[in-house]
Order: sequence, then C-alpha cells, then structure tokens
Amino acid sequence: MSGESLTKTLSKPALLMTESKQDYQALQASLEHEIMPRSFVESMYVADIAALTWEILRLRRCKSGIINNAFDKALQNLLRSYFDFNYIAAQDLARRWFADPTAKEVAELLRRVRLDEFAIEAEAVRLSSSALELIDRMLSAYESRRNKALRSIEVYRVGFAKTVRESSDRVLQEIRVPKLGYRANKVSA
Amino acid sequence: MASERQTEANRRNAGSSAGPRSVAGKKRAAHNAYRHGLSLSLGSSAAVARQVDKLSRKIAGNAKSEIVLRYARDAAKAELELERIRKVKVALVERVLVFGALGPTVRFGPVTKALRHLKLVIAGKAMLGEPIDPLATLPSEEPERSAEAMRRAVPDLIRLDRYEGRAVRRRDHAIKRTINNRLSK
Repeated sequence: MSGESLTKTLSKPALLMTESKQDYQALQASLEHEIMPRSFVESMYVADIAALTWEILRLRRCKSGIINNAFDKALQNLLRSYFDFNYIAAQDLARRWFADPTAKEVAELLRRVRLDEFAIEAEAVRLSSSALELIDRMLSAYESRRNKALRSIEVYRVGFAKTVRESSDRVLQEIRVPKLGYRANKVSA
Repeated sequence: MASERQTEANRRNAGSSAGPRSVAGKKRAAHNAYRHGLSLSLGSSAAVARQVDKLSRKIAGNAKSEIVLRYARDAAKAELELERIRKVKVALVERVLVFGALGPTVRFGPVTKALRHLKLVIAGKAMLGEPIDPLATLPSEEPERSAEAMRRAVPDLIRLDRYEGRAVRRRDHAIKRTINNRLSK
C-alpha cells in the first residue's frame, strides 16, 4: 500500500505554521521505506508513528528552547541575590550582559562569589522545571504510544497471517476429498 | 458497590451542592464544556459520515461480514477523532504564537500577592510597570518563539493528552477485533 492512497483518505498532518511540510513528508517516506507497510491498516500505523515521532522531535526542540529563553530571568535572579535583591540594578546588568557579548562584568561578579556561568544554566533549568516536567510527561506518553504502534504492526501481521492460516485449515477440513476408487476396488477384489 | 442507602445519601448530597465555591474550583469547572466537547464522538454531518465510510471500507479491506464492518467503522471513527485532537493541539500552540497567550493574563492573583508586590515597589526593589502584553514578551526569533509558545500552551496540551490516549486505545481495540473477526466468517 503506497502512502499516497493513505494521504488521500486521511487529511493533512497537523503541523505548526513554523514547521516544514517537506521535512514531515521526508520523515514519513523514510518510515514507509523502513517498515514497508503491506496493507491499509499498516499504512495507518506508519502515519501514526510519523505523527508521534514528529511530536517527540517538536517537544525535544522546545525543551532546549525553554531553557534558553529562561537564561535572562535566571541571570537576573542570580544578580538580585548579589545586589541585595535590587531588582532594577540586576535587570540592568543582565540586559547589558546579554546585549554585549564582550561584557565580562557578570562573569567577574560570579567568580567573586565562587560561581561560574553554569550557575545561570542551573537557575534557568530550575525556573523552567514546571514546564519541563509537563513536557517530559507528554514525551513519555508519545514514546510509549509510538512503541505500541510499532508493536501493533507486528501484531497485525501475525494476526492476519494466523487468521488466513486458520481459515485455510478450516476450508481444507470441510472439503471432503473423494476416495481413491482404484485402490478401493483393488482391495475388495 | 454502593448500597441502596449510600446511593440515596449520595443523591441527597449532590442535590444540595451548588457547584464549586472557590475561585480555583470555578476556574476548573469552566473548562468542563471544552473538555466534554472533545470527549464527544465526531459530529453527524454528512461530510464526516462520508469520511468515516471511506476510511472504514479501507480498514475492512474486502471483508463483507457485518461484525468486521462494525469494528472497522469504530476504528475509523477513533482514527478521525485522533486526527481532530492533534489538530486542536496544533491550533492552540498557533494561537499562542499569534496572540501570545490562550486567554487574558492575570497580572496579580490573590490580593495578598498584589500587596506583597506593592510593598516591594515602595521599597524600591520592584517596578510597577505597565500591564504585561503577552505578545510583547514572546521572543521574535525561531525556534525560541515556538518554544515559548509551547511552554505557555503546555498545561492545556496535557489536558488534551487524555483524550488522545483514549482515542488511540479505542482505535487499536477496534482494529484488533477487526483482525480477529476477519476471514473467520
């Protein structure tokens, strides 16, 4: 079963406006090439696996993006502790540091209190932890669904082969094979 | 299982309830219709019926058995529901990308929190500032913009996940039944 007939039956994949349709189609094509679906149901599962893989990739990208976005706030929090909780001074210095890549003031301040730039990353992770926790929950749900879809293809193939064999066995049992007349005559004679 | 007396007591208690009283409870209950909307099966429009028919015929293959066709129909309905839920999820994230938030932002929650902030402003440790525009605080560059939109939408997305899981289970169950009944008739 080609992917074309499946996409005619099902509508377009759910993509964000910032995502590439070509990339999605390439992912689906590579999965079809690997799994080689043999029926419509198998194609449906491959499409499902493609959708889930795409969502997993999207969430993984977002995780690092969320931490990156929290860097500004994280640095402000660290500096607020240094400046005796002066919000305005901390905000000014943090903005200056992010705007000017050559600025070394923050690194020096951190060194003075025996910290390094990793402290900013740690604070960014801490600030994003509630969102990251929810995303991790979604990720594990998608990963388990993707594994289940892969198993479903296997079960479908085995189940289909089994039903065909059982049906074929039944047909063979039901049909009465005519006795060999020649041999029967020979025995009675 | 609850006894006759317990059931009667539950009914009596439920009758005297006037719904949630706390702000959080009311807010949670406000989402009920939205959530129930997704748990409803697909609409009965002619277009949806045609889509279900088309998909179920493909799932059933060349099977003619009524039972197989019924299970194939259930699988088709679940598959289309799954598709609908995924589209809803994407639409929510896109709404955040366009407007910056899914609803109006609450600057201060309880009065105590507002007072605490006001004290900090008076002490010169915080700024009063303008009301925050959710769109203005959304990063302008990709992929940071999408990541922030996802962060803001994730509490709503996780609620939809339950419906997605349910649709997947219904579809898989129906497909399994389709296989078991296929060619056995």
